Amino acid sequence: MAVLNNKKSRVSDQVNTSSTADIAFLLLIFFLVTTTFPKDKGLAVVLPEPGEEAEVSQRNILHLIVMPSGIVDVKRGESQQVQQMRPREIEGLWRQEVSQNENLIAAVKTHPDASYKFMMDVLDALHSANAERISLQVLEN
Amino acid sequence: MAMKGGGFEKNSQASSEVPTSSLADIAFLLLIFFMVTTVFQADRDRPIEWPEAEAAEKIDEKQKNILNLWMEGDGTVFINDQPYPMEDVSTVVAPLYADSERALVISIRGDRDVPYLYMDLLQKELVEAGVVRVVFAAQLEQSMQRERR
Repeated sequence: MAVLNNKKSRVSDQVNTSSTADIAFLLLIFFLVTTTFPKDKGLAVVLPEPGEEAEVSQRNILHLIVMPSGIVDVKRGESQQVQQMRPREIEGLWRQEVSQNENLIAAVKTHPDASYKFMMDVLDALHSANAERISLQVLEN
Repeated sequence: MAMKGGGFEKNSQASSEVPTSSLADIAFLLLIFFMVTTVFQADRDRPIEWPEAEAAEKIDEKQKNILNLWMEGDGTVFINDQPYPMEDVSTVVAPLYADSERALVISIRGDRDVPYLYMDLLQKELVEAGVVRVVFAAQLEQSMQRERR
């Protein structure tokens, strides 16, 4: 039978495209799953309303004076006694102080020439100690 | 010559399979659609050295209600890619704050070495604009790093 020699080849001459869809869907799902929108992180504070000023008894204030060197001068209320501390020691101090006086307010006074990061270190320590009443000021002479 | 089977067993011309050749097009279309419609934040990042904080928390607010306020090391303030003099900040922020129905959160992205004087002026401007919710943006500090310092 000579017809046999003319039989078409069984092998297809086209590239198999049936799996392209699967690849595309796989890519689609991969990107959908792995895309994360970077959420900003930071330390939240609530600023006072304009003109809002509250009189607070000196007894309830813990002054934290941030110096340009990064050292923090701690003063309790009216007392003139100054205790020098490093920012990382503030967390323990706050926990200790607030257990004695629940109404305590942290007044963070930063020297105008002190780097922002030193204020952040103190604020970070206060946040770590779950302090809620924080006042941010610049040190005035 | 008689036809095999009398012509009744001839194969149907219609394919018995669902045509899948357009599936790829659909998938790519979806892929391109999502790629095009995904919007990232509007303003570009400024070159700042981030401060670090251990207690930094994610800002719990929609992206559209967060306004980034950049402060570079020399005290220059950038809002939406534009530099502004310090005294103009409240006039720029106040209308944006009103538009957001007082839901706007200001994310202060300050350089870690900026003198605090500028930060204080900035806060005073924000108070003047009536802004209440402010976040000092920081990178999360790992406790390992902290111990090494």
